[in-house]
Amino acid sequence: MNCYKRLILVLGVLVSPALLCAQNVSDLIIAEVMAQPDSVSVVDDYGRRGGWIEIYNTSMGTVKFGGCYLTDDPAELRKSLIPKNDLATSLGPRQSRLFYASGRTHDGTFYTDFTLSPGKTVYLVSNDGRTVIDQLTIPEDLPAGKSVARIANDAKGLTFDTVSPCDPTPGAYNGDPTAASKSDQMAERDPHGWILTLVSVSVVFSALAILWFFFWLLFERPAKKRSLDSARDDRFAAGDGKKSARKGNPVISTKAKGRMEKSTPDGEVAAAIALALDMEESGDVYAAIALALHLELGATAHDAESFVLTIRPTPHSAWNNPADGFRRRP
Amino acid sequence: MEHIYESLIQFWQYTGFANCTWQNLAMIAIGIVFITVAILKEWEPLLLVPIGFGMIIGNIPMFPGLNIGIYEDGSVLNTLYQGVKQGWYPPLIFLGIGAMTDFSALISQPRLILIGAAAQMGIFGAYLLALACGFAPAEAGAIGIIGGADGPTAIFLSSKLAPDLMGAIAVSAYSYMALVPVIQRPIMLLLTSKKERAIEMPKPRQVSQKEKIIFPVVGFLITAFIVPSGLPLLGMLFFGNLLKESGVTRRLAETARGPLIDVVTTLIGLTVGASTQADKFLSGKSLMIFGLGLGSFIIATTCGVLFVKGINLFIRNKDRKINPLIGNAGVSAVPDSARVSEVVGRETNPNNHLLMHAMGPNVAGVIGSAVAAGILLSFLG
Repeated sequence: MNCYKRLILVLGVLVSPALLCAQNVSDLIIAEVMAQPDSVSVVDDYGRRGGWIEIYNTSMGTVKFGGCYLTDDPAELRKSLIPKNDLATSLGPRQSRLFYASGRTHDGTFYTDFTLSPGKTVYLVSNDGRTVIDQLTIPEDLPAGKSVARIANDAKGLTFDTVSPCDPTPGAYNGDPTAASKSDQMAERDPHGWILTLVSVSVVFSALAILWFFFWLLFERPAKKRSLDSARDDRFAAGDGKKSARKGNPVISTKAKGRMEKSTPDGEVAAAIALALDMEESGDVYAAIALALHLELGATAHDAESFVLTIRPTPHSAWNNPADGFRRRP
Repeated sequence: MEHIYESLIQFWQYTGFANCTWQNLAMIAIGIVFITVAILKEWEPLLLVPIGFGMIIGNIPMFPGLNIGIYEDGSVLNTLYQGVKQGWYPPLIFLGIGAMTDFSALISQPRLILIGAAAQMGIFGAYLLALACGFAPAEAGAIGIIGGADGPTAIFLSSKLAPDLMGAIAVSAYSYMALVPVIQRPIMLLLTSKKERAIEMPKPRQVSQKEKIIFPVVGFLITAFIVPSGLPLLGMLFFGNLLKESGVTRRLAETARGPLIDVVTTLIGLTVGASTQADKFLSGKSLMIFGLGLGSFIIATTCGVLFVKGINLFIRNKDRKINPLIGNAGVSAVPDSARVSEVVGRETNPNNHLLMHAMGPNVAGVIGSAVAAGILLSFLG
């Protein structure tokens, strides 16, 4: 398997769980519903006061909800279609959108085909027209000017369990802003910190172990294989292949040894010396070291490593190099 | 005449002499010590000089309400301080670090990545100690990150979790980073035998340019998918490295690792120093933070060295054994901790160059501390 195939495999493994867990309409909830407005309730784009439904995105990604439905009738789940072709029908992470229950969908994208009244249940239906994503029942005794809302369990508004009547907060966060922070919750759940420590250490190790595995798979293993193949080829080329193969000894020819030595860079030593001296010497000394290394190591002291000092002849100087003089069109 | 006298009295009230307290003088003295140490001993001069001078600036006694202090909204210092407070200086520094870091030592020996993970135990050890000392979990997390030995990460996380403690945490982190050779060497000598210190590691293979280009992309994807909360740091680190290795964005890479990081380092050092105003800095908490910071460095170094010794127990091939002296380099004080490995290694075996081997865990430590910061942020932020 060549490097590119391995890379595609790695990326595939990485991306597949992401695709499986991509944010979708199931992350939406009906966060708040108001059935009967009072004189200070929010007005729609036409200056009317009426019931409204607040849809909230609980996920950490943007959700497109065009094509979904809102309804107040479980027997008719496709009652009020949310248009697909409106760019405004996407909701950012932990954002909300109001739908006015005007009973006239032709008023606009965010208007429903039904009105609201106490005792009704509002359903948010997926774009397949069958799956109910969320539903919220308006209490019979909900007074005018009050709404029923799902209250956030946490300060970040990620989970909602409690449903209760409250003062309406259209388009705003439903929850107690003074609720316990994550830190306070952690202090309660894990006062000595062992759980967080164990989880965190596991995650750090896992993240870096996965990194190690991928790079071992992608590069180190093939490199070792190439090196062994190369040594074997040289062994056969030197004519002692059969003999050594019979004995089972990994005999490496002089030519192969030379190549391996060349591939394990002398520049490493140079790099070590240069970096170790970094703290101690001045620029003049760097230049002297670079010249000495250049003369000593010749072509093996390369420019690929950051820590190797080399003097490389170039056809252009800083004054006439076209690459330095022109800027690419942005 | 009386008017002149009143004016002089009023002027006197505005001067630093009239508003001076012993705490201000103490902080100014600490600032001068930082500058002196940075210049004479050359301990992290690029950081300690701006921080030290920032301490002096921040502790000049002044009459409040003139809109010049770092904590007064709209002042020049306050505007510059927003980069620290809002956490956008550290990712810019990470961009520069990425553009100047060569990951080949890591790519050539991927197994060394795990040492970078082991050394992050310092972070969580300090977290446990801080909790035991009575700090709130968010404060403990911010203090723990000192063990990552990474100044920008410490500033980034403390600005999110415990802004009140940020000055003490940043100064503690940078101070101990400067003291890495002093702190780590005795621990390394204590935990290793002469035979172990003499272990010569095989030369790392040469890494191709293709591998270097793929590394930042794949490395970022893996780490960011696992810990998205570390995105600002990880994204900038790997992006900077891609600029360096791609070979077609030389000017951008040079700017990132040159003028950009210099400007941001100057501003971050100065403003962090200036944020250590005596009334906010001189407290029992700050002293505890310094103590815990030292503890975190000791734990990190110990865990790194012991982890390598543990790995060696499972390596049968004698030629592939790892010198435990590179375990200390798992903390991300680049390249100081790797230099310590080299120096201590050569004390035992003058021909044993450990520097390039130690750079592997060293840069892995940068990634590891950013991942750890992301985890702490997601749990406590």
